Amino acid sequence: MTAPFLEVENLHVHFAGRSRLFRSAMPTVKAVNGISFAIEPHRTFGLVGESGSGKSTVARAVLQLTDVTAGTIRLDGADVTRVPREAELAFRKRVQAVLQDPYSSLNQVHQVRTIVGDGITRHFGIKPGPEREQRILALLDEVGLAGEFLDRYPYEMSGGQRQRVSIARALAVEPGLIIADEATSALDVSIQSQVINVLRRVQADTGVAFLFIGHDLDVVRHVSDDVGVMYLGYLVEQGGADGVYDLPAHPYTEMLIASVPVPDPAAQAERRALRQTFKKDTEPPSPSDLPVGCPFANRCPVAMDICTELMPEATAARHGGHVRCHLHTSGPVLAGESVVPYIRSASTAR
Amino acid sequence: MSDASTAVAVSAPQPVQAARARSGFWMRLFRNPLTVAAAVWVTLLLLAWLWPGLLAPHDPYAGDVTLTRTFEGPSWDHWLGTDGQGRDLYSRVVFGARFAVNSILIAMVVAIGLGVPLGLFSGWRGGRADRVVMWVNDVLFSLPIVLLAMAVIIILEPSLPSAMLGVGIAMATRFVRLTRAVTLAEKEELYVDAARITGLSPPAILRRYITPNLLPSLIVQVAIISGAVILIGATLSFLGIGAKLDDPDWGVMLARARFDFRLEGIWQIVPAGGALVLTVLAFNLLGDGIRDSLGRDAASSSLTVPRKVALPPVVQLHASGAVLSIRDLAVGFPAPGGMVNRVLSDVSLEVFPGETLGVVGESGSGKSMTMLAALGLTPAPGYLSQGSVSFDGREVTFLPEQEWQEIRGRDIGMIFQEPVAALNPALRVGRQLMQSLLVHTDMSKSQARARAAELLAEVQVPDPERRLDQYPHEFSGGMAQRVGIAMALACEPKLLIADEPTTALDVTVQGQTLDLMAEVQQRHGMAVILITHDLGVIADAADRVLVMYAGQVVETASVSTLFSRPRHPYTRALLDTMPQSHRGHGDLPVIGGVVPSAAAWPDGCRFAPRCEFATDQCRTSVPLLEAVGTDLVRCVRHAEFEFGPHAETSA
Repeated sequence: MTAPFLEVENLHVHFAGRSRLFRSAMPTVKAVNGISFAIEPHRTFGLVGESGSGKSTVARAVLQLTDVTAGTIRLDGADVTRVPREAELAFRKRVQAVLQDPYSSLNQVHQVRTIVGDGITRHFGIKPGPEREQRILALLDEVGLAGEFLDRYPYEMSGGQRQRVSIARALAVEPGLIIADEATSALDVSIQSQVINVLRRVQADTGVAFLFIGHDLDVVRHVSDDVGVMYLGYLVEQGGADGVYDLPAHPYTEMLIASVPVPDPAAQAERRALRQTFKKDTEPPSPSDLPVGCPFANRCPVAMDICTELMPEATAARHGGHVRCHLHTSGPVLAGESVVPYIRSASTAR
Repeated sequence: MSDASTAVAVSAPQPVQAARARSGFWMRLFRNPLTVAAAVWVTLLLLAWLWPGLLAPHDPYAGDVTLTRTFEGPSWDHWLGTDGQGRDLYSRVVFGARFAVNSILIAMVVAIGLGVPLGLFSGWRGGRADRVVMWVNDVLFSLPIVLLAMAVIIILEPSLPSAMLGVGIAMATRFVRLTRAVTLAEKEELYVDAARITGLSPPAILRRYITPNLLPSLIVQVAIISGAVILIGATLSFLGIGAKLDDPDWGVMLARARFDFRLEGIWQIVPAGGALVLTVLAFNLLGDGIRDSLGRDAASSSLTVPRKVALPPVVQLHASGAVLSIRDLAVGFPAPGGMVNRVLSDVSLEVFPGETLGVVGESGSGKSMTMLAALGLTPAPGYLSQGSVSFDGREVTFLPEQEWQEIRGRDIGMIFQEPVAALNPALRVGRQLMQSLLVHTDMSKSQARARAAELLAEVQVPDPERRLDQYPHEFSGGMAQRVGIAMALACEPKLLIADEPTTALDVTVQGQTLDLMAEVQQRHGMAVILITHDLGVIADAADRVLVMYAGQVVETASVSTLFSRPRHPYTRALLDTMPQSHRGHGDLPVIGGVVPSAAAWPDGCRFAPRCEFATDQCRTSVPLLEAVGTDLVRCVRHAEFEFGPHAETSA
């Protein structure tokens, strides 16, 4: 087993409510509440969850774009929870990102040459010239763009082409980790699969580790080796991608799976029946006012009394990872097995 | 005038792309005759500033020693007359440009030099530094500009430069505000995050990323503030604390008209005042012109739009009993060089009561355009070039806008992609729900409110009475989309058009929204057209499906047939690219390339360049929509294919 490139341990990110003149202090928003995971080189860890689950905050914390409240982030064994200013450049060379919106993540006033070349100049000291040009062309080739794109401006490119440029920009500094934050969510399905294939090829060629963040469990499962399911700042289930998908041990994971419609009317009718067992008119609690017990309890179709009283601890799941759900230790005591048969039988019993 | 503008447009020695973008700007700028006039005036002003001798025939300081030719009106020798010392007023006005432009230069150097760096700093740093800077700035901003100028004059000496130093400081507060606002907005942009991730330092980000985005608004402000500076300079000179009493400054000249105490002296107001008014006006018009030309979309309005088109006769009959029936619809957009881009061609569809028609395709395939054109909402400069639309058995292709407005909103409900953006942020949700009820029915206000609460309850918004009094920002995306559905339902429409209603929502909320739409449809029995790019959503909600590609219908089928036996290679390719279709982790099948733009549609089959089955025949002959049983397919080779159900084939 190779040593992990990125280790996140018990990460907390809270945003203090600012108190303003004539206004009472706003409550603290608890965006991330103690999550841990690790990614080895050549591997992809997928983080999946709804908007507001804190998955992008995890990315921003790792990228030093937001302050960590508690916990540790390690890169190749070294602590990078709070990178001092003089070490920032060295840190930036090792962690890169591809961000969600292909339209606003590229500056409209710069050509592809500048967008991709900036990092080369900054980190390798190669000034604009033939050598840098060669490198940029090689990077564009890696992401499947022809050399003519050198002179293009972002507004002259499609969404898929822009995301390829973003990937080339990230690759330019030869990082060990690339964080893809909803990198394919804004694209058409046909284009999404092109970009996913580019990411896969890049990983095979360079061995870069990926933190892949998304809301569509089918996409995240496809690209990831391991996945973590986030809900209101908690990692409620994590494990091997296929294991979590096939044997979901948390009702929320099952809700996510059942929610993605599949392109097959018969199979979809089944998924639809399953998704209808989940409560319709309850919204998740606010991250500034988290309940005492399990945060999913008010939306859970099989919640028990204990769920509203106590936050469940992580227990081992059948798929080899772990899950935070009382069903596995009290009530039906599923002991890490898939939660699907239980939800089905409970919904037919009602 | 027009010579000058074309010369500028053509001579830009930039690379091709940049030159094209830039010449577009200059063309737009000089299309407005007022802007051209303003630019000419400013050019004259600059000429007079650089080489006043070129324009002025006389020495502005040299009077008529004999004092016989004083207070004259315009004549051959003195085009604008003379003043009390017999000096040529026209020459004095020309030389006055020196003072005006110098004033602008001093004030602008001070204002921009102070204001822009401070604004960048304040906006970027935020927090306490920002509060201190803005507090001082607001105090200075609230002081009258003339007062600040006087303060500087008292400290230094009464001269035009020191007055302009004061004006510059006052104007710097405007630039601080502008720069800070732009910086704050740009700082939140993802590309600034991306620059930080690349490892660029804050000064580099400010210089290379934020400043270029500041420039357009800065230029506009400079033009407008320049006008103000001249006016203030003249005011100070008029009061005797700017230029010296002998100088040919416009303000001084106005003041002289007052000091001379003779009725003949009144004429002096006209040349100086005229120059002043025209200059201020020119700067403002130029500022407006620049602002208007920086808009990207302004160009399209220059293209000529055929007002009324004689539509060719439609061969197919409308489907009887259909709520909406479209036949052979085509939409054209005028393109440069008198060409027309046909963004839609030969689109036919119909939808019956109680039925959900799914319309699917990539972005740029014409799904939304079809709906807009059918509802009389073709975006300008586009126009219907062919086709016929029938709604509820009535021919509506060329219905006047007023009659359309009665149908839309009452008989046709619309649900949009961005639920929160589709609501007016300034109005309570209740009022927005009541609006269409009050317009389209004869309900009283209290009845409408009761009905609005009923509607919210119907779309399962908890606590509807309280929610009525909330603003859209208090709704989550899913709840806002329920409000959108409630609004669409308000007048019991016969047809509901949902354009990507779940694309912006979380997957869990998407499922709930689709369930709600199905429930509502069952209860009211209306027809639904569901536009989406997600075949999963189609499988969930549609009865019949229309697949569009590059402005054409390429396949129609019942939902079960479409998924079990897709006939068009495009449909099959769309199904294959979905990650849901694959169990493994290998490469996903792709459709290479992108949907071409309407200007570049291929001659033969429009999908041929991306199709793995394309032959020479596909590239040359135009495929027609052929009937296969009750389904339609636009592919010359469809009979050869036997695409099975997509799933699991290449995993």
